[in-house]
Amino acid sequence: MTTAQTSPPAVARPALAAGRAPHRRAPRVPGTARLIAAILVILAFVSPIYLTVVNAFKPERDIVSDPAAPPIHPTLSNLSTALSRPDHLLQLGLRNSVITVVCSVLLLIPLGSAFSFYISRRRTRLRAAILALLAAGLMIPPQVVLLPTIHILTLAGLDHTYLGLILSNVGGGYLSFAVFVYVGFMRAIPEEIVEAARIDGAGGLRIWWKIIMPLVRPATATVAIFLSLWIWNDFLNPLFILGPLQGQTITTGLYLSVGQFQMNYGQLFGIMFLAGVIPVAGYLVMQKQFIAGLTAGSTK
Amino acid sequence: MKSRSRWLRDVRNDLGLRLIAATALLLYVIFIVVPVLMSLHSSFTDENPLQSGSNFIGLANYRTMVHDGELHATVLYTLALALAVTVVANVVGIAFAVLLNRSKLSYRVLRTVAFLPQVVSGVIVGFVWKTILTEDGLLNNALTRLHLVKEPVDWLGTPHMAQLSVGIVVAWVLSGFTTVVYLAALQNIPPELYDASSIDGATSRQQFRMITLRLVAPATTISVTISLITVLKLYDVITVLTSGGPANATESTAQYIVKLAFTSDRFGYASAVAMGLLLLSAVIALSVTSFLRRREIDL
Amino acid sequence: MFRRCLTAAAAVSLLLLAACSSSPSSSGADGKVTLTYLTFNTPSLTPTFWKNSIAAAQKSVPGVTIKQVVAPNTDRDSYAKQLKASGQFPDLLQSITPSQYTSANLLQPYDQSWIDANFLLPQGNAIKGKVYIPPTNSQIIPLVFYNKQLFARAGVQPPKTWADFLAVCAKLKSAGVTPIELGGNDPFAAAVPLTGAISADVLGKDPKWLQERYAGTVKFADANVVAAATKMRTLVSDGYFEKGALNVSYADSITQFNDGKAAMYPMGSWYLGSVPKDAWDNIGVFPWPTDDGSVVVPFAVGGSMAISTHAPDIKAATAFAESWSLSPDNLKALIEGDGAFPMLKGKTLADYKVNVSPVFTDSYGYVTQTNNKVSSIGWATNDDAMPGSLNNDFYAAAQALFNTADVAGQMKKLDSAWNTASK
Repeated sequence: MTTAQTSPPAVARPALAAGRAPHRRAPRVPGTARLIAAILVILAFVSPIYLTVVNAFKPERDIVSDPAAPPIHPTLSNLSTALSRPDHLLQLGLRNSVITVVCSVLLLIPLGSAFSFYISRRRTRLRAAILALLAAGLMIPPQVVLLPTIHILTLAGLDHTYLGLILSNVGGGYLSFAVFVYVGFMRAIPEEIVEAARIDGAGGLRIWWKIIMPLVRPATATVAIFLSLWIWNDFLNPLFILGPLQGQTITTGLYLSVGQFQMNYGQLFGIMFLAGVIPVAGYLVMQKQFIAGLTAGSTK
Repeated sequence: MKSRSRWLRDVRNDLGLRLIAATALLLYVIFIVVPVLMSLHSSFTDENPLQSGSNFIGLANYRTMVHDGELHATVLYTLALALAVTVVANVVGIAFAVLLNRSKLSYRVLRTVAFLPQVVSGVIVGFVWKTILTEDGLLNNALTRLHLVKEPVDWLGTPHMAQLSVGIVVAWVLSGFTTVVYLAALQNIPPELYDASSIDGATSRQQFRMITLRLVAPATTISVTISLITVLKLYDVITVLTSGGPANATESTAQYIVKLAFTSDRFGYASAVAMGLLLLSAVIALSVTSFLRRREIDL
Repeated sequence: MFRRCLTAAAAVSLLLLAACSSSPSSSGADGKVTLTYLTFNTPSLTPTFWKNSIAAAQKSVPGVTIKQVVAPNTDRDSYAKQLKASGQFPDLLQSITPSQYTSANLLQPYDQSWIDANFLLPQGNAIKGKVYIPPTNSQIIPLVFYNKQLFARAGVQPPKTWADFLAVCAKLKSAGVTPIELGGNDPFAAAVPLTGAISADVLGKDPKWLQERYAGTVKFADANVVAAATKMRTLVSDGYFEKGALNVSYADSITQFNDGKAAMYPMGSWYLGSVPKDAWDNIGVFPWPTDDGSVVVPFAVGGSMAISTHAPDIKAATAFAESWSLSPDNLKALIEGDGAFPMLKGKTLADYKVNVSPVFTDSYGYVTQTNNKVSSIGWATNDDAMPGSLNNDFYAAAQALFNTADVAGQMKKLDSAWNTASK
């Protein structure tokens, strides 16, 4: 989410030690006590998420009487109310978010990796300068480029279109992130591999696609996962670039329709639960790669 | 002759790759480089989104910034928030990482759970926390029920409390992230180091200071930089949680820019402030990164 | 120039890249047209209300399809401007502040003869003599609503003068009753008492005050305005507002007042739409108290929608807007649900077949009686509207008074914001 849609877990290198088990030392605190402490601390930490989940399945009366209790009289009515809204907030929002995320990421990965491959092959001053220019994109606040981007899109006839939103995602700070991750990985690939392929007569495109891409699969996983998450949770670009007429992404849809209502807790938590469940499910499925990606970023 | 034909072949062979790379660069130029230059240009004009023309007014917008009390307040709050959130999120991150750095399944599950705040969008985070923090919200409900407080706490109702509450929420979000970054770093510390120091009679506190903190230094660099940058461009959480209120107390500079441009119709001035924020972010990011990198080596 | 070149260059390359662009045009041929319509939701103006009222008006203008755009909060002016900046200015805009757009020539005035023929106060919200929003209804902002049972319990009567009002607050407080409900988490609601104090005390004595402020002959920092604003501060420092008022949302404040959690509720007359049926006889009303007890009514002629000059079919847009504005069903819904005071010519309340509470009738009395009506500061949409986004600054000042005793400092800030916004 907020974590800087453009911030990199720094220069990456192939993940070596992602899942290595730490060595067991003689525990100074007894194991069970420590585990219980850990569980309590983490549960308190994620209590807002816990509240969202349990209350999405509780009748209003139970939420008010004890918000923290598990659903004793479980109900699906909050979820069905959320899904049967006349504006189809969730269905349309989720669909639009999927379109935006999938198209953006499918474009960002080949563009980012091919660019990184090209730029990391030879170290010249020009290429270093271009790389520095791209790195700068990581810290540009999106508010700085927002209105000019809209002007450019308007002139090209792409204002408030999905294509416009997707292209501005692809060209914006996200590309910087992809390049940053890929360059780190690609510099670690021995030059000989590329040379050998060249001698065999393979062209640049072929080498990149057939040889390099399989080698940097962890980088692709990192880029795909993080960019999907950030683009899914993006707020400012869809709010301004897409606007209200082409339908909302789930994030802006929530903001625009939940705001000012007297909405009871059950309805609110029902909507929040359904809106949040896709990225969370995605994260739970992909968490191995997710954490590996972070590990790749944080070890040098 | 021969080398020339090979060069030709290389160019032909690389044409596709070059084309894709050039496309990527072109898109970046269109959506980052050109917009930044356009913003820079607007910052010297009195551009107003409701009017068509604009006049060049030199440095007037930048001079206005010097006397703009609301701007100063937002910058001050943004910087204080960035500093406080970065410190809290990183301390919590290290603490959680040390706590969870065990290989048992139960700990792995906890690790997964601890990252969740980072996965959920800022809009959802804002709404859920707002429900928790309002006057008769879930937190006050719980606190009064447990007789921990006599009267509901004004979590979002006074400027100072609202500023604090925003800080807590943002630190909460970032702590999920820092925990995972530090965990990853901890797992790369060779266990032999701890064994050796145990034999040398080091206490666990000494071990934490001498080994753990030093070896997670690269993770600190990343984690601190990302925390800072995140807060400097923070928009969605605050917009949903407090809309910058009460009395603009929780307005971030990023929000102020959007407000100037889109509510007050002062696009030229908004661009000047945006340039200021860009400069501030760059200076902070670069100096913090280089400081932390030097520290990595020193340690 | 440089900028235009840059934009053009970027756009051209983008076009080359994305040859597949399909042009998104909303105006159609063959008499069919889609118009966008900006609305906003409140507890009384619900999505259902909009859906029904749009469907009804659409029927009377064949070939027009309305696409509704909903503002994220009641601050529809900010959202309209945001949409303008991103090239999506709506064709029809409900209850905006026209003065913010007229200088940029964004709004189409209505035909004066149609306005004159249909409305009681045809110039009620005119800007430089032109009417951009049909003056269908009016509002009083604020009135003070009170809970008769709680008043009886504390043994107090509705006050007339400011001193009486403070005495009532004190008695209520000592009787263990929260004197004043305020949903201050929503900035506009936090500012309602400030609106009351300045409208009644400053504009009540000098109805041309806002024009004079435009001319620069008076200031917020003048002693009379500071004295009026200090009244709001007094209510804060004496603890007469509900505890944690800035932590309470506007929607919650209605519920709480209806539940009898506080004795008085200063609010715009639209609250009348939220008086629960079983409390019809328990809620009373009095105008914002003045120093000498004279009645001043902070008044605003509101209305339906403005029309964009860029609408693809202005004729059709006007036809839709006129149909919506004169629809007795819409007026009925607005009267019952939003406490609107109807301003259509030649109609009495009975003609709308509405079923309204006694407190509505009492409140409506302040409109029909001859009394000292002045522009409600921040709510008037005629020439007395404040410039730019000054309303937001005004709201922020009201919230600030909860935490600072420096009233003059806040008023000075408003002056400098005014100067920036009106230059």
